Amino acid sequence: MYYKIGVDVGGTNTDAVLVSQTNEILAKTKQTTSLDVSTGIKNAVEAVISKVDVSKRDIKYIMLGTTHCTNALVERKELNKIGAIRIGLPASSSIPTMADFPEDLKALLGAHIYMVHGGYEFDGRLISPLNEEEVKQHLHAMKGQVESLAITGIFSKTLPDQELQVAAWAKEILGNEIRTSCSHRIGGLGLLERENAAILNAALQKVASKMVNAFKDTVRGLGLSSQMFIGQNDGTLMSLEQVQDLPVLTISSGPTNSIRGAGALSKVKNGIVIDLGGTTSDGGVLVNFFPRESTQAAQIGGVLTNFRMPDVVAVGIGGGTIVRFFEDKCQLGPDSVGYRLKEKALAFGGDTLTLSDFFLANQKLHITGAKEAIKLQKAIAGTVAMKYAEALSVVKDQIRLTIEKLVDKLKTDETAIPVIACGGGAFLLPEKIGGASKVIFPEHMEVANAFGACIAQIGYEEELVINTTQHDEDDALEELLVKVKNQLLANGALEDSISTLTKESIPLAYLPGAVKLKIKLCGDLLG
Amino acid sequence: MRKIDSNAIEYIAMGSTVLGTGGGGDPYIGKLMAKQAMETYGEVSLIVAEELDDGALIVPIAAFGAPMILVEKLFSGGEFIRAFEIMEEYLGRKIDAVMPAEAGGLNGVIPFAVAAQKDIPIVDADGMGRAFPRLEMVTFTLHGISVSPIAQADEKGNRNIYQTINNVWGETLVGATTIQMGGSCVLGCYPMSGEQVKKAAVHGIISYAQKLGECILNAKNNNLNPLEALIKEANAIKLFVGKISKVTIKTEGRWNKGVCEIMGFGEDQGTSMKLDFQNEFLMAKKDGRPVAITPDLIVLIDAENAQPITAESIQYGTRVVVLGMKADKQWRTPQGITLGGPQKFGYKEKFVPVEELNKN
Repeated sequence: MYYKIGVDVGGTNTDAVLVSQTNEILAKTKQTTSLDVSTGIKNAVEAVISKVDVSKRDIKYIMLGTTHCTNALVERKELNKIGAIRIGLPASSSIPTMADFPEDLKALLGAHIYMVHGGYEFDGRLISPLNEEEVKQHLHAMKGQVESLAITGIFSKTLPDQELQVAAWAKEILGNEIRTSCSHRIGGLGLLERENAAILNAALQKVASKMVNAFKDTVRGLGLSSQMFIGQNDGTLMSLEQVQDLPVLTISSGPTNSIRGAGALSKVKNGIVIDLGGTTSDGGVLVNFFPRESTQAAQIGGVLTNFRMPDVVAVGIGGGTIVRFFEDKCQLGPDSVGYRLKEKALAFGGDTLTLSDFFLANQKLHITGAKEAIKLQKAIAGTVAMKYAEALSVVKDQIRLTIEKLVDKLKTDETAIPVIACGGGAFLLPEKIGGASKVIFPEHMEVANAFGACIAQIGYEEELVINTTQHDEDDALEELLVKVKNQLLANGALEDSISTLTKESIPLAYLPGAVKLKIKLCGDLLG
Repeated sequence: MRKIDSNAIEYIAMGSTVLGTGGGGDPYIGKLMAKQAMETYGEVSLIVAEELDDGALIVPIAAFGAPMILVEKLFSGGEFIRAFEIMEEYLGRKIDAVMPAEAGGLNGVIPFAVAAQKDIPIVDADGMGRAFPRLEMVTFTLHGISVSPIAQADEKGNRNIYQTINNVWGETLVGATTIQMGGSCVLGCYPMSGEQVKKAAVHGIISYAQKLGECILNAKNNNLNPLEALIKEANAIKLFVGKISKVTIKTEGRWNKGVCEIMGFGEDQGTSMKLDFQNEFLMAKKDGRPVAITPDLIVLIDAENAQPITAESIQYGTRVVVLGMKADKQWRTPQGITLGGPQKFGYKEKFVPVEELNKN
């Protein structure tokens, strides 16, 4: 018998669950996220361990879900000093690197941007050979001024050797401590989007290392020898080494974990998950226990990338959402008091009417330190010039309408499907929603995120372009499948549990014989 | 004459994607190139054909190649200028204005990059009013204008001039060398006089693309439904509402041929639609009956944000609206239907205008 711990570090709370080998939740906790991150993690992990009589030796895995990298990017904090090299001259110079970046981010990251000769044609012929002198001259110019380097070559997805060569020269000139972000490991076809992703990745490597070290030190400091993983965008896990290399792949793990977690808690395979927080409610679609991905190109911190992200639609309904009445109608948010609920809200002696106030007043929600329900009802009635019961019904109607719109937006057809609640604000969700076959409030829904991190699988994907006039397509696909499977096994997957997430071959327009193959497999962790 | 700034390019690029009717390549790359060129060389003047001298020399400029290659091996920028300059050299005179050959997709915005750099105007006209997969499929052909001389250049510096016996041979030869050049190149083709442009082009198409783009991108600011705004501006017919249920795609010769199947939703619940495409959408059938046929425009729109979807980015599960739009009147003549109609693509069905197919 072994156990797993899932930790979710959010902006406000750090949650943790301790689960059995069969994913049964044995303990859970909600702690405040600390400024240094590690204290919050330490408190949460200690809390779940103390609640259950298990030997620390038997805690085999600890999985971390975190929005730390996302926040760093959005807030432009702690980003690395980066350099960027694009390999492909004379092609590609018509669009400069970072052409479509937000100005502030360009100013922050754009000091050492270079293009050099190199790159490949789709069929593997050289556009130009690499010029060692040219590359090294740029590397010398970066000396002492960059911490990580993004390297992007034309058709490096098919032939990565030039990117790898530039990375090797970078170590030679800038020293072994320089981190490199080779685009072929990060994004798909599409030079600009892949280059953008490589740049964001390079910018996040320091933040990621800090986070990983904090996590590792905390876990080891608690005397645990568990293997550690971090959740990534598609609901699969990465090793700590991978995260430091490819931090950008964790950027939307938050919604992914909550959607997967809520699906597993409710044992519902297909449906809509609504994660209700302090500021927003985020709706996502669960398809076969995985989040539906967006068909739109994903923007991260204002930058276009070709990552596939969970398709999430947010509405301004959360525990801290500010409620305003205009005669007998009410408007919800979209602003929120957020984490300052306990100083701003009516229930805590503040002057702002929030959604939490309404549900503290009818005792559906309990928070220590809040006013008595009867007193709070009077205070609300005084603020809105209406009886509390009437005002509550107006507010509930408004919530229901907003949620129904959200559900309708997420659905792909008119069939009623289950809606699953999760998150700390789940008390806000009505028990009946138009368009929903049922509304499910699963046990442990407040820690769905941490649970989602805990049940993540490991996955691996690759894509490449082949010329079918030279290679047999079926053989190439089979070869790729074996390659991906072997890598997944090497990463620690249980062979019998491996399933295919993506297997596609797409012919490229205007080119006879050119086909793009893509395979992604996932599987359970080796027990 | 009016000035086009980089804000206007955003709208034109979005409108070009609508006119691409699923093909023509994603204009994102073209938009960035045009913006970059305008930042360096200044704004571009857009003129209507009437402003041209009858004797002026106008050359349509186009990117040629596989959409997938164009987003990976970006242009150097120099190939446009080389194609332009060898055309001038070959003809022994200066080019007075450029124009798009194809307003749909990437090629709707590409000529702005050349116009900015050469500081010459761009004509508010093209040879399609949409996108088509072959070089000869332009209204210029209907007026007996030769595609040749064709000036071709790649990013490496290779250049060609073609003199072909007819416009189909232009497509054949340029198609073959483009693959050797690595799958993409730039063309200057159909050199024309001002008089010919006035007669043979689809006029006002850039301004039209801009209006369509404004409908989609601005509707939200004006509290309008972007889809309704687009339908109104394009005088489009809403053919179908549904969810993509299947996509099949295969290579035949030089093209992607495929079928996109859509399951009805809302008012179309219980019915289905099939869209055939060869780079562009060619035929829309609702429960087996044609509701829109090439050269009329079939536009696939993402129901969530009213933005057009290109054929290579169709994904299972997307909620979509299918619109039918009338082709330019030149395409609806007997000669136009022969060049761009269903028989050209091997269909048995005869062309019937979209408004007649959907008369209730």
